[in-house]
Amino acid sequence: MNKYYPAALAILIILLAAFPAIGPEVYYLSFMFSVFMYVILASSWNFIGGYAGYLSFGHAAFFGIGAFATAKMATVFQLPPLLTMLASIPAGGIAALIALIVGYPCLKIRGPYFSVVTLCFAFVVDLAVKNIEYLGGAEGLWMKFMDLPEKTARTIMYEAMLLLMVITLAASWFLGRSRFGTGLTAIRSDEEVAETMAVPTAMLKIKAFVLSAFFPGVAGGLFAYYLGYIHADAVFSINISILIVLMAMFGGGGTWLGPIIGAVILTVVNEGLSTFAQAEIARIIYGGLFIVVTIFMPNGIIDFFRKRGG
Amino acid sequence: MKVKRGNFFSLLVIAAIICSFTLMTPAVGFSAGKPIVIGGSLPLTGAYAETGQWIEKGMRFWADEINSKGGMLGRTVEFKIYDDQSDVGKAVTFAEKAITVDKVDLLFGGYPGTAARAVMPVAEKHKFVYVSMGGHMKSFEQGYTYSFGAPPLMGEWWYEGFFHWLATVPADKRPKRAAVYTINNPVGLSLMDSINRWTKKLNIEIVINEKYNAPLTDATALIVKAKQSRCDILFANGFFPDGVTTMKAAKALGYNPKAIVQGIGSVVPAWVKELGKDGDYVFSGTCLSGQLSYPGNDKLNAYVKKTYNLNEYPLYFGFGYSWMQTLEQAVAGAKVLDQTKIRDWLKANKVNTIAGPMTFDKRGLPEPINFGTQIINGKVELISPKNVQTKEPVYPKPAWEK
Amino acid sequence: MDAVLIFQSLISGIMMGMVYALLGVGFSLTWGVMHVIHISHGAFGLLGAYAAYSLLQYFGVDPIASAAMSVPLLFLMACGLYQLLIRPITRAKNIIMASMILTFGLAIILENIMALIWKADPRVLTPAYSSGALIVGPFYFQYPHLVGFGLSLVGITALYLFLKKTYTGMAVRAAWQQPEAARLYGVNLFQISMITFALAVSTAGAGGICLALLNSFEPHSHNLWLIYLFLVVIVGGVGNVIGTALAGLIIGVITGLSMAFLPFQWVNLVTFGLLMVFLIFRPHGIFKQEGL
Repeated sequence: MNKYYPAALAILIILLAAFPAIGPEVYYLSFMFSVFMYVILASSWNFIGGYAGYLSFGHAAFFGIGAFATAKMATVFQLPPLLTMLASIPAGGIAALIALIVGYPCLKIRGPYFSVVTLCFAFVVDLAVKNIEYLGGAEGLWMKFMDLPEKTARTIMYEAMLLLMVITLAASWFLGRSRFGTGLTAIRSDEEVAETMAVPTAMLKIKAFVLSAFFPGVAGGLFAYYLGYIHADAVFSINISILIVLMAMFGGGGTWLGPIIGAVILTVVNEGLSTFAQAEIARIIYGGLFIVVTIFMPNGIIDFFRKRGG
Repeated sequence: MKVKRGNFFSLLVIAAIICSFTLMTPAVGFSAGKPIVIGGSLPLTGAYAETGQWIEKGMRFWADEINSKGGMLGRTVEFKIYDDQSDVGKAVTFAEKAITVDKVDLLFGGYPGTAARAVMPVAEKHKFVYVSMGGHMKSFEQGYTYSFGAPPLMGEWWYEGFFHWLATVPADKRPKRAAVYTINNPVGLSLMDSINRWTKKLNIEIVINEKYNAPLTDATALIVKAKQSRCDILFANGFFPDGVTTMKAAKALGYNPKAIVQGIGSVVPAWVKELGKDGDYVFSGTCLSGQLSYPGNDKLNAYVKKTYNLNEYPLYFGFGYSWMQTLEQAVAGAKVLDQTKIRDWLKANKVNTIAGPMTFDKRGLPEPINFGTQIINGKVELISPKNVQTKEPVYPKPAWEK
Repeated sequence: MDAVLIFQSLISGIMMGMVYALLGVGFSLTWGVMHVIHISHGAFGLLGAYAAYSLLQYFGVDPIASAAMSVPLLFLMACGLYQLLIRPITRAKNIIMASMILTFGLAIILENIMALIWKADPRVLTPAYSSGALIVGPFYFQYPHLVGFGLSLVGITALYLFLKKTYTGMAVRAAWQQPEAARLYGVNLFQISMITFALAVSTAGAGGICLALLNSFEPHSHNLWLIYLFLVVIVGGVGNVIGTALAGLIIGVITGLSMAFLPFQWVNLVTFGLLMVFLIFRPHGIFKQEGL
């Protein structure tokens, strides 16, 4: 471990936090907001998917639950802007609670079967929100926007998402270096062996799952407020669930840096391509990226560079 | 080789910074006297690609036309169109990009309704005029002042034309029992408005009133229920895929109501092209049609005939064109590219579009525009109101051909 | 509740479920035998559907004939793709993961190539019998459903017999159940994998054509199809041909019955909910053991 590493990180975070001060256009704040969001999603998915090897294909469900819970609280209690953003924390709590309830039976199932149960779960939540008027309904929910200049409003959103990202990454960092993380890795390599070695597998898995649902829930709340109008299709989409998995695995699952790199690269490349290339061609190039990277770095980007670096 | 990880990290940071710089350079460099840039995003790939691409074609046709006439305010116009990949979040980000980075002069309207619902507040916050189809009545009731529907795609109005015609049918010949199947999304739900009002007025009993969630993979049960309940009018309030599934099941199961009314599935050119005879006699509505006598429609029809071999321009082609027409007249009227002045001009004046003349109320909506349609012999005919009628509707619907 | 409705709904549900099974059976094989989760499987199905569409449109070829034609063509194409793309990633530590990422990219590419060739407009496969029905007493058997059902039965049976009765098929099974032993007996694992992959892709093509007889399709439809794939394969048990067919039936029965008894609004929710519960209680699919 390089001793400058933490210092470099701290500087990077400060630079990111200070970024709005140089007066960038609103779009950059928004774009970075979405980059942070995907870093949060991929990194928190990594708790259960990367470390423990339980590939959840329904993580958009927690993201969406957070979004709708926040929007609902904002409309029911007529919350002012700042409180709406804070409401995303209990919204994340709701997501975590649901993860606890669902995780208990689901985490007994292993491998691909777990993936498909979570996939079904995401559909169930999506359809429940659409069908039950009280939860948001098929019309979606509108939220009041901040009574502030647009740039200030977006800066607040940016800083909030950045803060959440830092917290998520810190959690991820400590998790990777704790006994908790070691236990999860043991589960991934061989759950039966881990059990015989007195690793409390059930407990660890459920903890990781709940934790990995909480952060996306909060991020969902912020995203809802960012959009101003929230519809089930925008947050529960299966594409988001798959994208989260791919981002984490693309960079390298089960590592701290992997999901970050995956999320950043894929978000930036996708955005850049939409700007510079014709629509279908852009998508084809984007698809080609997955193929090329996998063929040359079949174990993820991180692994590739580690091997190179020795 | 211990330092490599740190090196790699710094490499990444540098890469990230370079990437963000490339993103920061506005894609088009321009200044005063240069072309007027109209920006925004459309779903050019993904689930809504088909519609998004038709809107783009309509907009581009308008741009070619206006540029050949010398442009707007003496400047040529050009588009900065982003592909939002049918993602609402991306639609919002790209709208902000167009406004704040590309510093476009004007914003164009997006699709689908959910994206428009999310972009309308962005336009409002940045004080940019946003002429689009909107996201049905609810989106125009949020108090936005910069959003206009010219014309809007308004589910609440969609069946007005049809019902106006149905009211002219003698009471004993009208259908008595309705089966209503509605897709559970903003479009479907907004269609219920006119059905509820008019069925009461015309004494039609709604026997079945159900919603379904997309995808509708099989419509057998829907049709069997309607058939068993002896419903003699079927409202299939859906999109293309579920509409096709419903029609095929209705034919296969020999269900012959007096009328089949379809939501927005039958407005895409694919309906006639793919279903052929089986798509005939379906009633629907529209707010644009190549068969209207308003100036411009002939020209659009000639263009799509030549370029895409279609008899009439598709609805969304017309939408793209009509939104641009509205912007064009507003800019010409305001004489400057000042968004608030453009807005105020639109609020106070009349525009002439291919959908007819329009004036906008406080919400940014024109008077309800709707024409009843029926597909007869593979062609979308206008059946209502009387003064635009192109063909007498076929009613009751003939039995399916075997 | 009325018997005609229940029966009618059940029939079309089951026939539909069998079509999903044909589409899914290859997905199940590549997953079971090669540990490759083939995300672009549905996109290949869609490719078959588009090919059948063009053949019908321009040459009047019936979709059944197209299904037969598409099998060898897709087989050859898939052999090439295997050598080019799949084989290089077999050295990954986690083949499941690597294959998912790679084939996800492939799916995006295929989708957009199809969008460029056939445009984004939705298509409907309409042979002469596309909306007819065989009427038996009060019951209607819709032709597209019957054709899809028939083709699926033929396809799945053929695949099953191939794996059970032929030498190559047995080698595939051996390679899956005991890769080391198989290698010792001189089975070329790469060759077997290639055949498995190609077989899988060609059944996808046939399945795609069957599904296109039932619903309209667009370049992005494969995303939706992928969900059905996952469901039949998991319920049936990964790598299990008969299980996949049974899973198709089960899913068909669930949808059929819920269409008949429930408000339509709740059908999809109940289907997915029941599948979730099913998986929680039978976490390895229908059968206790893994097997073809």
